[in-house]
Amino acid sequence: MTMSDNKLITNRRNMLLGVGAAAGSALASGLTTARAAENQGGQVTDAPVSDKMQERQPFYGPHQAGIVTPRPAAGMIASFHVLANTPDDVERLFRTLSNRIAFLMAGGTPPALDDKLPPSDSGLLGPVVPPDNLTMTVSLGASFFDQRDWLAPYKPARLSRMKAFPNDALDADLCHGDLGLQISSNTPDTNIHALRDILKNLPDLMVLRWKQEGSVPVLPPKPDGSHESARNFLGFRDGSANPDATDAALMDKIVWVPEGGDEPAWTHGGTYQAVRIIRNFVERWDRTPLGEQERIIGRKKPTGAPFGGSSEHDVPDYTKDPEGTVTPLDAHIRMANTRTLASNANLILRRPFNYSNGVSKSGQLEQGLLFICYQADLEKGFITVQNQLNGEPLEEYIKPIGGGFFFTPPGPLDETDFVGRTLLEATGHAMTRTKS
Amino acid sequence: MMKLKLTLSVSLLAVAAIMPRVAMAEVSPLDLVGPIADYKIYVSENAEKLVTNTKAFTDAVKAGELDKAKALFGSTRMSYEAIEPIAELFSDLDGSIDSRADDHEKAEKDPEFTGFHRIEYGLFAENSTKDLAPFADKLMADVTELNKRITDLTLPPEKVVGGAAVLMEEVAATKISGEEDRYSHTDLWDFKANFDGSRKIFDLVRPLVEKDDSAFVTKVSGNFDKVDTTLAKYKTAEGYQLYDKLTEDDRAVLAAAVNTLAEDLSTLRGKLGLN
Repeated sequence: MTMSDNKLITNRRNMLLGVGAAAGSALASGLTTARAAENQGGQVTDAPVSDKMQERQPFYGPHQAGIVTPRPAAGMIASFHVLANTPDDVERLFRTLSNRIAFLMAGGTPPALDDKLPPSDSGLLGPVVPPDNLTMTVSLGASFFDQRDWLAPYKPARLSRMKAFPNDALDADLCHGDLGLQISSNTPDTNIHALRDILKNLPDLMVLRWKQEGSVPVLPPKPDGSHESARNFLGFRDGSANPDATDAALMDKIVWVPEGGDEPAWTHGGTYQAVRIIRNFVERWDRTPLGEQERIIGRKKPTGAPFGGSSEHDVPDYTKDPEGTVTPLDAHIRMANTRTLASNANLILRRPFNYSNGVSKSGQLEQGLLFICYQADLEKGFITVQNQLNGEPLEEYIKPIGGGFFFTPPGPLDETDFVGRTLLEATGHAMTRTKS
Repeated sequence: MMKLKLTLSVSLLAVAAIMPRVAMAEVSPLDLVGPIADYKIYVSENAEKLVTNTKAFTDAVKAGELDKAKALFGSTRMSYEAIEPIAELFSDLDGSIDSRADDHEKAEKDPEFTGFHRIEYGLFAENSTKDLAPFADKLMADVTELNKRITDLTLPPEKVVGGAAVLMEEVAATKISGEEDRYSHTDLWDFKANFDGSRKIFDLVRPLVEKDDSAFVTKVSGNFDKVDTTLAKYKTAEGYQLYDKLTEDDRAVLAAAVNTLAEDLSTLRGKLGLN
């Protein structure tokens, strides 16, 4: 490296360090962001910079990560066919998954191998893997239990194979799976890196069947530190009425399978996951009058406030609107949640991403919602809510094409534990390995 | 025979030149000479068999014997598929012998679309030998040329050893889905040939790896066995059942075996100290 090269890099680094202040003053002086970016210098192929790469989520705990964890900007669901049939192989599958997830979520340096061998890591995030807020959530489909006689008696009581709802047009190649991974982090690249790591480490026990990636539009931070719900591809805020995921007692009621009850004991601390790939007909939606869009959803588009409210978090009082003069009776939010004491039993925790795949044969955008939700009772939760929504006016603009129902086992308690351990113990399987 | 001997001494030099560095499994370049020579014989035998079988196949096509041509399609291809890592070294011939419709912009209608799959398209999709004679002549000429070039070829050791994994990569990327023989659905014949070709290479170098890494050898053999057992379920008197008979579960078993073999065999070059 020459002296001038060195100097150039130093200058560039100084400039990057000063970006925060520069951007602040640029905004203050009314410069456009384009102009501000222009002033940062740098080369066209310089990597975009993020100060969030070291954000780290804990892997160990009574519940798996990625459920009540605030949803980052990039998500993915990957569905697998599982070839582990014996208890020993299932144990190896679970342990290896947990080992890989523990490493990927913590970040670190992958082992260096002889350079005549393929490297142990894809390297797409560089020689040191950053955590980047990664979570990987392992879930099991009904077929995982149904196709293994020794596991069938331990199937969670409400786990079923997703059946088509009336508006669905399910594509078999985008549905179900023995095992699902929800991968989310700050960037799509981190998710892809994680997926490739899993594929490389478990080729004999898992075969990838389908995957869907998604994203969440980012917002600038609000001066008062408050948060707003992100928007879906219909342009509406999605998740305004989500239960408070920071309220542990509430999550115990809505999300986590409780102790006792009619579920197998091993499921305690787990949750049911419903995944739906819901195509949105966005061209048609964009050609729909604003007032009609709002009546279909039941919220004002700019603020997300329900009719008669001023903020997205205002709770509509349907008892004062029995005829639907304020909020139409068939508005999406009203059919999904009637906001009565009884409907509290049907609450779900949504954690969706928007997806965009390509172009249909008709030349329309293939995009929509990668809907993901969690609940302690799949039947009272997603299935009941979706049945309430059957026939809603929004159906003209949406078409569910894939997804599946899964059970998300409780979390690994510490380094000696692994996801799925409680299930294997319940079957009476004597663990082959004391340490993973 | 003269020619074979000459080629061998050249291979030896090639091996020595390529391995200046310490081999991982302490394999000396000389250790590879035997396996490479044996593999050369395997490739030559298959290339000759390909010529013989292609003659019978293209004769049937040109004679308008539709049923006979259809029946010969699956088995004729096997000797090509078994030595694909070597055959692919001649990319011009590989393109004209084995390219698929989607390798061409105008697909089946593309004038550049020739070879096995163009004839397959005529026989199975159009159910006719009409207009196939020029393609038959071209295929015959191409495989004859391939055989000639293989006879003259010095096998690069890293291509031979790497070929075991390459065959698995081929299956994993474009064959496991049944898109290779999309008109005839004789994909299982191709699978069998690809696996046999890969296993041949593995078996030839196996003694060199076994002493240092017997667990690896056991694992790879186990996965080859798993493939054999799975494919054997679909064996018929003439060859194999059609691809659409393959169950979803067996397809997953094969996919997992292919992926695992591809992962493991990707280390074979390194284990033998080859770059």
